[in-house]
Amino acid sequence: MNRVHNTKIVLWLITGLAAAIALNRFVFGLGATTNLNDEVPWGFWIGFKLSWVALSAGGFVIGAIFYMMKREKFHSLVRIAILTAFLGYSAFIVSLIFDLGLPWNIWHMIIYWNPNSPLFEVGWCVMLYTTVLVLEFLPVPLENTSRYATVRAFLQKFRFPIVLLGIMLSTLHQSSLGTLFLIMPRRLFPLFYSHIIPIEFFISAIAGGLLMLAFETLALHWMYRRTLETDLVHVLCSVSVWILGLYFLVKIGDVALEGKLGLLLDGSWMSYLYIVEMLLTTVIPFVMFVMPKWCANRRVQWIGTSIGIVGVVLNRIDIGGFAMRDATLWYTPSWMEVVLSVGILSTAALVFLFIIETFHVWDIQPRDPEALSHTPPFFDRVSGTWLGSPKTSALTRHTLAFVISFAVGMALISGKRLHAEGIENVTVRPASGIDTLCINGNRDSQFVEFPHQAHIGWMRSGRISSVTIDSLHYVLGAGADSCIVCHHLDVPGEKLSNCWECHTSMYSEVDFFRHDWHASASGANLKCDDCHTPGETRTGRTARKCTACHPSYTFADTAGYGPNAYYIPSYVDAMHKLCVSCHTIESRVIKDKPNLALCSTCHRTGTPPGLRAGMKWDVSLPRFDNVVLPTPVRGIR
Amino acid sequence: MSKAILTDVTKCIGCLKCVEACKDVNHLEADVPRVWDKNDGLSAENWTSIIQKHGKHYVRKLCRHCLEPACVSVCPVGALRKTEIGAVIYDSAKCMGCRYCMMVCPFGIPRYDWDQTVPHVEKCILCYDRLKEGKQPACTEACPENATIFGDRDALLKEAHKRIRENPAKYVNRVWGENEVGGTSVLYISDINLDFLSYQTRPVDMPLPKETLPAMEAVPYAFFGMGGVMLGLSWIIKRRMKLSGEKSNKEDSTHE
Repeated sequence: MNRVHNTKIVLWLITGLAAAIALNRFVFGLGATTNLNDEVPWGFWIGFKLSWVALSAGGFVIGAIFYMMKREKFHSLVRIAILTAFLGYSAFIVSLIFDLGLPWNIWHMIIYWNPNSPLFEVGWCVMLYTTVLVLEFLPVPLENTSRYATVRAFLQKFRFPIVLLGIMLSTLHQSSLGTLFLIMPRRLFPLFYSHIIPIEFFISAIAGGLLMLAFETLALHWMYRRTLETDLVHVLCSVSVWILGLYFLVKIGDVALEGKLGLLLDGSWMSYLYIVEMLLTTVIPFVMFVMPKWCANRRVQWIGTSIGIVGVVLNRIDIGGFAMRDATLWYTPSWMEVVLSVGILSTAALVFLFIIETFHVWDIQPRDPEALSHTPPFFDRVSGTWLGSPKTSALTRHTLAFVISFAVGMALISGKRLHAEGIENVTVRPASGIDTLCINGNRDSQFVEFPHQAHIGWMRSGRISSVTIDSLHYVLGAGADSCIVCHHLDVPGEKLSNCWECHTSMYSEVDFFRHDWHASASGANLKCDDCHTPGETRTGRTARKCTACHPSYTFADTAGYGPNAYYIPSYVDAMHKLCVSCHTIESRVIKDKPNLALCSTCHRTGTPPGLRAGMKWDVSLPRFDNVVLPTPVRGIR
Repeated sequence: MSKAILTDVTKCIGCLKCVEACKDVNHLEADVPRVWDKNDGLSAENWTSIIQKHGKHYVRKLCRHCLEPACVSVCPVGALRKTEIGAVIYDSAKCMGCRYCMMVCPFGIPRYDWDQTVPHVEKCILCYDRLKEGKQPACTEACPENATIFGDRDALLKEAHKRIRENPAKYVNRVWGENEVGGTSVLYISDINLDFLSYQTRPVDMPLPKETLPAMEAVPYAFFGMGGVMLGLSWIIKRRMKLSGEKSNKEDSTHE
């Protein structure tokens, strides 16, 4: 088993999947890729990303320990720490390209300044520090070529100030990433909000950076099957113990001083999240590493560093998204968010492996075991064919892994633009041709024609008496002179029905046929067999037509329809889109009509004059709390 | 001369004329409910909305145009700006889409074009173009009941207090927007508690940008302080090594 190759294949698979999602993100937008929403504009991406910066802190910590404090034994870690930091920050910047809504404007931070903004400061620090990291790492790839010897010598001459600048910048932005959240005192859950978040971020970054380096060393030795420099991992772990302890004290001390200990134990979801986070970030790794005997045990090192890293990641994700007010209610990351983030990390890991195999980053440059010259030709197990030289065969397999998972990713994403969901708007066409209005009341594109001049004629001839402002109340009460005469089915025995009795839903269309009423003893009291043929499946389609019992139903074209066909608009649509729409136009021309376009014509407070006893006035208002009124469609014609 | 809007919740009849006028003036398209919408009627296409509370109380929601806006203070590229006239306006050409403004808004106002491939932040800009022409915002102009009115902030505050004084039984004795987060340019008087409009619940509250101020002021100290500490440390250690006779200047040549 070749661990290096298998690891690489897995990384290529994830990268391929992520590439498909990256495409989805740019073609269809953020809404189609993430579950982010107006309630939770920052989520998993931001939090996860912040943790990369934290775990890259090893770059400046080792710089400080080695160059400033002259601890010689950390020498073999220097280059790998700088490379980790450089790739961590690069991954951070790359992932910003997917996370920002308008990533092509990312350079705006250079020309449009807002020094009050913590994000502005973080942005500049990250830009400068990444540059510093490039300068710190550049001598490594240059050392093989004599051509750039002057550049290399120049960089080495200024090594000390460059490292110092790196430390200063890191201090600043590791803590400033915490400053980002200081401005959300009521939005971040109180247990997670603290006035010293910047300090907490800084300390946890140092611990995270050290643990990450230890973990990396372990993982690289495992992959390349080399004997472990146990001593160094041991040192890293035992140094991080003190920082973890400090972090624990600062966190708990802060919670205690702010008087939030009660929140910690109140059994809410957030308190559990906090406790789990504290266990992972500090308590478990601390306990594991605090005892010298355990700390030297390789298995304990594996588990302890992994748990600590997961803890730091969880901490950043909590603060970046999950611990936000109501976030858990509104947001769970979509699988695409997770895969894209992990994909960027795997790409960084592939670059990392490429660099350590190509340049002298480690004290010993590892070789891909299959790429050695004495490796026998590799035959594919299934087909028995020779896949080429080890290098070619690796390339083939990696490409294949990428292409296959890219294809799988393309198949998995829906590839659909997000389209309108929810209530469809009723299309009311303005008079076309002469004066005929087409009303699509049933939303089935079977338009009801409304000859307006004819109606006016009927009104003049007395067939419909002219509607005055006072008699408008009949619209609600369904009096003899109301619109209902023309616009509604003649409900048998109930000429005084209120609008809402059929338009039962305020906002969405409903079935006019009330099955429960027909079946109930207090209603029509019908037996099943009265409408449904015995022995047949009882559906709306097979039931008797409404006109069989209600011959007075004169609605156009309904004779052939069963009960299911009687869909009617919501109350709001019926009133606003059908009645008000016409009257908005009319009120500009005819002055003596009631101005239905003026909302206060209908929506009045108090009891209207002429309201007959027993009639309900409150019919138009939904009877539940905190309703958001639907907004009118723009440009009513 | 800071302008403001005063909304009297007791007068609003919930007719949505303001919403319609807003959509017309700002060329907003028809809106449909989406998974990413908050439950308050605001969306990328609705910059103002009306929420019905406890029966017949209609509360208009829109950008509060804070006097010291958190969104303006955090925008890294200065795409949001508080104008002298009082409006907080948005420059889509500068925006890079970090959505920090959405995170910090104490009232949860800014919305995002989640369905667009070129998304922008969407929020009420107090009809800034109309204000510059000397007109009033479309919503206050459209209100048939004068429930929401436009004017100088000081004059409106006086008016608000006058209405409460004249009718203390009707109103809650508080002008929402007078002091919260340092004051806002959109004021409310009401017969019900309006704290649901905001993440803040205390009547007098510090402007949010002040929360980050100490940390931001500490930046140069942290920067140069850490530099100083590191230099000092390295000097002390180097000197100690020199004194103990070790050759410490080797690392430059051996470890690069």
